[in-house]
Amino acid sequence: MRAIDLTVEICGMSGDGTIAAGALLNAAMAKTGLSVMAFDTYPAEIRGFGRCVTRSRIGDESMVALADRTQVLISLDDEQSRSRIPFLEPDATVFLDSRPPALVAEGQSLAAHVEPENSLIGVPFGDLSSQVAGSKRSKNIVALGAFAGAFGVPPEAFREVITVKFRSKGGKVVDVNVQCFDAGYRYVHENHPDRVTGLLSPKEGAGTGDRQLLSGSVAISRGALDAGVKRYFGYPITPATPIMEYLARALPERGGAVVQMEDEISSIGAVLGSFYAGTRAMTATSGPGFALMTELITHGVMAEIPAVIVNAQRGGPSTGLPTKTEQSDLQAAVFGGPGDSARIVLAPTDVCECYRYTAGSFRLAEKYQTPVIVLTDFFLNNRVETVTLAPAAEQEIADGNVYPDESKKGGYRRYEITESGISPRSVPGQEGFTYSATGLEHAETGLPDYTPENHMSMSEKRQRKIAGALRDLPAPEEFGDDGPLDVGVVAWGSTFGSALEAVLRARAEGMKAGTLKIVTLFPYHADRIRSFMARCRRVLIPELNMDGQLANLVGHLNSEEVIRLNRVTGVPLSPREIYEKIRELGG
Amino acid sequence: MKTPGRILAEKVAGAGASGRFSVRSGNLPIWCPGCGYYGIHQGINDAIRRLGLPHHEVVTVSGIGCAGRYPFFADTYGLHTVHGRALPVSTGVKLANPKLTVFAVGGDGDGLAIGGGHLPHICRRDVNVNYILFDNSIYGLTKGQPSPSSPTGFRTKTSPAGTTEAPLNPTLMVLSYGATFVARLFAGDPEGITAALVEGIGHEGFSFFHVYSSCVTFDKEFKTWANLNRRIHPVPRDLDRGDRKAAIGHVLDDDFSMGVIYRA
Repeated sequence: MRAIDLTVEICGMSGDGTIAAGALLNAAMAKTGLSVMAFDTYPAEIRGFGRCVTRSRIGDESMVALADRTQVLISLDDEQSRSRIPFLEPDATVFLDSRPPALVAEGQSLAAHVEPENSLIGVPFGDLSSQVAGSKRSKNIVALGAFAGAFGVPPEAFREVITVKFRSKGGKVVDVNVQCFDAGYRYVHENHPDRVTGLLSPKEGAGTGDRQLLSGSVAISRGALDAGVKRYFGYPITPATPIMEYLARALPERGGAVVQMEDEISSIGAVLGSFYAGTRAMTATSGPGFALMTELITHGVMAEIPAVIVNAQRGGPSTGLPTKTEQSDLQAAVFGGPGDSARIVLAPTDVCECYRYTAGSFRLAEKYQTPVIVLTDFFLNNRVETVTLAPAAEQEIADGNVYPDESKKGGYRRYEITESGISPRSVPGQEGFTYSATGLEHAETGLPDYTPENHMSMSEKRQRKIAGALRDLPAPEEFGDDGPLDVGVVAWGSTFGSALEAVLRARAEGMKAGTLKIVTLFPYHADRIRSFMARCRRVLIPELNMDGQLANLVGHLNSEEVIRLNRVTGVPLSPREIYEKIRELGG
Repeated sequence: MKTPGRILAEKVAGAGASGRFSVRSGNLPIWCPGCGYYGIHQGINDAIRRLGLPHHEVVTVSGIGCAGRYPFFADTYGLHTVHGRALPVSTGVKLANPKLTVFAVGGDGDGLAIGGGHLPHICRRDVNVNYILFDNSIYGLTKGQPSPSSPTGFRTKTSPAGTTEAPLNPTLMVLSYGATFVARLFAGDPEGITAALVEGIGHEGFSFFHVYSSCVTFDKEFKTWANLNRRIHPVPRDLDRGDRKAAIGHVLDDDFSMGVIYRA
């Protein structure tokens, strides 16, 4: 049983420093040895147009999903924060500015709207900031001080992360912000001593150990670095840009390079060119950019050139919802593009898997001479978790290339038809093995050949090759028990965590529920999925898309129609929504 | 069965042993008899041979079109990509292994229409790729439609009343994009192509070779051999090839001068 499971929200207008405060909160809590999972929502515009909310779930055990309810709301803007009231627990604590900067019309204040049971802690965030810093800009830091004071968070944890954050701006800025933090901390102790609890005081022996606070984007970047990626070609797009930003610093230190290309087409083109010449490369994008890459991805399929592409999904179609999460690119990732163009598609479900499967995708791409798509989403890329990263296993990141035997010199057939479908691939510089790779259908030599027999046998070869990759790809994992289940939840990507939490809750209440995690979307482990479904009375597939894209892909493996739970609200599916559906189906 | 093409291929392979066609693969070009691309092919082959580049350290990247087929006919590593994307792919190849000599080849439709967005960026990145633009001002592989370098009023099956658009001037474009090596050449003069390539391959940075060619099958009125032969002439001796402004001025005045125009 969790002793601590606290969800803290910070809400303000963009420009209030909401996101920055959330990041400091997460870092400080991780420093005290607690587990954190946090996710921000913010508008697409840079400043001044919308509401920003950070949600941090803080606990003494690791967690798989965000919580449904909020126990603490830190309001940096009354009007924006009113929208969060419905998400508050009845006994939630609300921190608000007791002397808001603008006149709040009567009846518009947050205090007038919260539930009577809510515990209000008023602190003059803006005024304290003005007194210490000379402007209201540090009111977010004052607010953090108030939170730390009330919940017993050791101030050193915050002082440390504030120092790190502002160090590049000089000692004076650091000092002023630490003083703002202290002012908020002190104010609560002096003015609301009855509200001070020790809930988040560190327990004896608590420490961070080897745990790190990482976002999915950073985990993806680290995975690529540990796999020895040498080139990154990309084009800025939300939510994939943080990967390029991270690598732009880290890759040159390791003798690599990041090149910002003119568009997504050139990004995937350069990745293919790099792998063709024997050097590991990758690109990361989101839906609209992925759509542009489609033609060249199928070129990689046809010409059998490796590539690693991260698609961090966002709301679609078209430009869609750039800063909202969705899982609606599954079909595009698996099937997108002209012709029969089977490729490998992996969808990590948490931050650790972002690291592991990105790292492993390079070897897979080389071994099976194919583009590998790592399909993540806004929620997974942007959320942070306290994680312990086990370094990628050597056999998962080793050189996967199969080079031609020297004895084949002179008679080299690049696309030789083999039982596995894998034909040894030479790289430029290798003497005696020149060939031309092409997106045209080709004979074993690589020369264009459109004869019926050739197109059949080459298509079969390519399909055989991808089907054969299954043995190297992560198999579905079952959670629950081995017996018959009333409800089996099949889930993928970032929704899996919510599915697992929902299933655990249902099981704790005695329901026969289980869940199947699918990471490998293509090719897929049909037998394993079928056998799980066969022991479920009802199969539920919750996804953040309208089509039911996983249901469309694997639903046919069940003997009867699978139940779909589809949401496109731009926010992650909550454990509660899935839990309620399980109850409805299981009853 | 030995088709005429196969017999010819064997002859070519035999000639390869003698050294004459050593850079050619055993596959004969599919271009029409009289196509200017044969001359460009010869010019490239001779440049590779003259520089003594090992074939396995040369990569030829192309897009789609008659010119896009070029990698199949060369005994180098080849990468026949999709329409318009030879430049970004060649960027990836060169950055992956800087020891390789990388050619990007393609036609005027491939490089100026669908792929036109990549040209400024390879210029400003100054990647050490040698881009040979086979410019016959027509789409040949799709049987004769106007391209971005076709003259205004060009009549084809998709422009029966004549085109209304003005042609692009690729040499002028890359000069303004900041290309560091620019040559304009003629498919009817393989030796001129070889000379410019030998110089351009040695240039550390992006090299652009704009080669005027003729499509004997679909263009009977504009870039015909007769018209091209009548109008081309060497770049004036007194042009300062290190002066971008002078080069731009010259290209604005003269569409038919052939040779190296600019070198940073």
